[in-house]
Amino acid sequence: MKRKTLIAAQIIAALAMTLPLGAAEKLGAKPGSKMRLEGTSNIHDWQVEGKLIGGYLEVDENFPLEPGKEAKPGKVVVKGEIFVPIRSMSSLEKDGRPYSTKMDDIMYEKLLETTNKRITFYPTELVLKEAAKDKTSPYVYDAKGNLAVAGVTNEVSFAVNVVPQGGDDRKIKISGTTSVKMSAFKIEAPAPKIAMGMIKTGDDVKLIFDWVIGPPKKTAQ
Amino acid sequence: MNENELNSTSYNRRDFIRGGSMATMMALMGGVDLFAQTNAAAPGGAPKPGIKVKVAVIGLGAWGRDILKTLVRLPIAEVVAICDKYAPSVKKASADAPAAEQVEDYKKILENKEIKAVVISTPTHLHKDLVIEALKAGKHVYCEAPMANTVEDARAIAAAAKDAPHLAFQPGLQLRSDPQRHFLVPFIRSGALGPWVMARAQSNKKQAWRTSSPKPEREKELNWRLESEFSLGLVGELGCQQLDQAAWFLNAKPRAVEGSGNICVWKEDGRDVADTVQATIHYSNGVFLTYSATLGNSFDGDYEVFYGRDSAVMLRGSNAWLFKEVDSPLLGWEVYTKKETFYKETGIVLKAGASKSADQGASGIPEEPFTNTPLSYALGNFLRNAFDIATAADDFKSSFGDDDKEALKDHLMKVRRQPAAGYQEGLLATITAIKAAEAVRTGKRVEIPAELFTV
Repeated sequence: MKRKTLIAAQIIAALAMTLPLGAAEKLGAKPGSKMRLEGTSNIHDWQVEGKLIGGYLEVDENFPLEPGKEAKPGKVVVKGEIFVPIRSMSSLEKDGRPYSTKMDDIMYEKLLETTNKRITFYPTELVLKEAAKDKTSPYVYDAKGNLAVAGVTNEVSFAVNVVPQGGDDRKIKISGTTSVKMSAFKIEAPAPKIAMGMIKTGDDVKLIFDWVIGPPKKTAQ
Repeated sequence: MNENELNSTSYNRRDFIRGGSMATMMALMGGVDLFAQTNAAAPGGAPKPGIKVKVAVIGLGAWGRDILKTLVRLPIAEVVAICDKYAPSVKKASADAPAAEQVEDYKKILENKEIKAVVISTPTHLHKDLVIEALKAGKHVYCEAPMANTVEDARAIAAAAKDAPHLAFQPGLQLRSDPQRHFLVPFIRSGALGPWVMARAQSNKKQAWRTSSPKPEREKELNWRLESEFSLGLVGELGCQQLDQAAWFLNAKPRAVEGSGNICVWKEDGRDVADTVQATIHYSNGVFLTYSATLGNSFDGDYEVFYGRDSAVMLRGSNAWLFKEVDSPLLGWEVYTKKETFYKETGIVLKAGASKSADQGASGIPEEPFTNTPLSYALGNFLRNAFDIATAADDFKSSFGDDDKEALKDHLMKVRRQPAAGYQEGLLATITAIKAAEAVRTGKRVEIPAELFTV
């Protein structure tokens, strides 16, 4: 009997992940986001940045939509698709000035942009790690999900800070940092030839993001 | 070209010399030309394979056919239609683009949703309606320079381009896309020439500027440049590029122009546009440019010179040389560079992308030598910008929808652009050309109110 109950519970949990969420809030992407990739090479570090992070996030009532809202420990049921258009990213100097269109083109080529136009993250799990201490500090969650880059999907997990902004538009900023290996996504590290030898790009890439989301705008009656 | 770059005064001698440090090292090793190191300011060069932009050319006179010949050689261009209201011109041009649809009514081009960009190379006075209709039809527009032959038309074109931030608009100021010029701008603005003395530009040819046709009405249409009702004459139709370059290099706007012109050689063909002109353009920083052009004598061809107290820089096509006064301070790097002798003067070669040492540039990414024509760079950059702007707009809409027009506009303004003139530079150059043509025609000093340059 216990075994049957356990199986039933597992089926319900699995369905909960795939079916529309009860009392769910669908939050859409808003302008104001930033995605930054940082990497290394044997001549200098490199950085790439984009201002577009699109997609949506569906969350249950445990997710803090307002500053200071009490968040229950444990999982938030979550569903979504979060994407970065590859062509929206471009290389930068350390001081933020544009770097090189050629570098951009190499990046787009290595990310197989012609066939995979987006980097996409499909969240599967959000677990509260630390509730907000006050109205301005972040809720810290452990996020888990599937990251699709250049046609290869891998499961990744990382911590995210969730800061509800409140106000009329009820925007929420989700920030985080994680590291991935290019080789894990079968991306050949760029190694442009130069006269004095070869530039070798490091396999590790750091992803830093600020994603701004919010409920849909209320239409005038 | 954004306003920041137009108004930039951030170049200084130290920045330029720092930029050239690798060149100096290479020069010490073997003695090479100076080259452009940073590709952040350089045009995109060869576009990424796979990117294609469907483009049409409207206006297939001699210059339109030159544009077409250049376009079909660009990997990024897919010339899908060519258009001229005169059918034999379309047929003649089709030899260069045999796969392109041959069209006599430009409205067919504008209605074709497959066509993303148009190059307008009709006579100057016909630009305005075409540009405005093309932008309304959602086409990226490259409009030959000068943009118009009246102030009203020029401002209407600039206003339409300003209202279409989701589209690339580029006037045909091709030098603004030339890597050699982008290499020179920081140097010339750095103060290395000393305080400004003056500038000079010349365009001498021995030719009638006339095209013949068996049909008198067609001949009249072809030779619109010889009628002052339609044409800005030599100073406007030819000089527009050089006048624009001067404003760019001097980082100043014109405020008045004096001029004079004569028909000295081609007196018998009924033209009322001078075949020999001179104009003096006074800039807001107190510097003046003397411009002269003739169709009566080709001696010394085309060139521009920028004179400072310590040095002068001469440009001929895509070549440039630095001529130093004997009492000019030593900059350092010039000792090791290539030099060429001109009569009694020695010029230090200033040339972008001329050496293998460019492979050692700051980016570590090899640069190809800058061997294409300014027109080729201008058209290539136009199409690349059109592609990037369209992609950015699509990405934005797929991320956030298209309700927030201001946010979309803000996003598009930040899209990285290949070096190219925009509507502001087009307006500046066209107003200058119109006022210079007026001064040449009337022989009077013409003031240029600063407010004409803003829309």
